[in-house]
Amino acid sequence: MKVAALLQSLALDVHCSGNAEAEVCHGTVGDLLSFVMGRCPEQAAWVTIQNHVNVAAVAVLREIPLIILSDGRQPVPELTRRCGDEKIALASSPMSAYEICGRLYALGLKG
Amino acid sequence: MGAPYVVEFEIAKDDFLAAGEGSGSVKDTLKMLGIPSAVIRRAAIITYEAEMNLVIHGGGGVLKILISPEKVEIVARDDGPGIPDVELAMREGFSTAPDRIREMGFGAGMGLPNIKRNADSLEIESAVGVGTTLTASIDLSGEGGPA
Ligand SMILES: Nc1ncnc2c1ncn2[C@@H]1O[C@H](COP(=O)(O)OP(=O)(O)OP(=O)(O)O)[C@@H](O)[C@H]1O
Ligand SMILES: [Mg+2]
Repeated sequence: MKVAALLQSLALDVHCSGNAEAEVCHGTVGDLLSFVMGRCPEQAAWVTIQNHVNVAAVAVLREIPLIILSDGRQPVPELTRRCGDEKIALASSPMSAYEICGRLYALGLKG
Repeated sequence: MGAPYVVEFEIAKDDFLAAGEGSGSVKDTLKMLGIPSAVIRRAAIITYEAEMNLVIHGGGGVLKILISPEKVEIVARDDGPGIPDVELAMREGFSTAPDRIREMGFGAGMGLPNIKRNADSLEIESAVGVGTTLTASIDLSGEGGPA
């Protein structure tokens, strides 16, 4: 599924649209940065409540095309700026991480 | 063989929000030198985790990347508190990160295991009260698929 399509189907608030054509094939959820660094699958959407610039650093290194901040977290400007520079899509939602993951799964993103 | 190409960074203590800068420029340098992208990916992850450990645990230090035709070597050196039990520190989930840092998502105890997974060889020399030197390298002879 393409980033742009995913942003739309979950009605996410988009802070950086990233690379709209990038494919998202998997999903991951978690707030421990090194855990995501070690365990996340390729081309994953990452759901987290962690809201600072190192989130973007991990996404760059793991080539994560889309970060979704859950539970109504509004990204700090530094994170938005970095995602913009790196062409990573950054979105947020009032939904819980659980709810977002459920919807991603229903869209066909399995683990 | 000629002398390796060397990139060096001073890493400041507690500046964890500047992180990723070391690994970012390592990526650029390796790309410029024509290193295969699978190797670049692994080297950047090693550099990031080593950089974060210097910032969070080592009280700052020096990060050095040495690139030769045979290998990419990443050396992180600090004069910090040292690691009393390296084998224990290597274990997944072991962390002494303080709470205020854990709240930011550090302290999974996965940094050293991530380094090990991405390196072809890893050596940690550490003495309590003296400091720590971590040396990780990636072989360039085998075209460097995932370790
Ligand atoms: N340079 C260092 N100086 C002193 N202690 C260190 C150093 N690097 C690592 N350690 C010790 O080893 C432990 C494990 O390191 P590791 O990188 O695996 O996990 P972490 O840094 O605690 O958490 P994470 O990397 O998952 O955010 C650290 O918690 C710390 O006690
Ligand atoms: Mg660490």
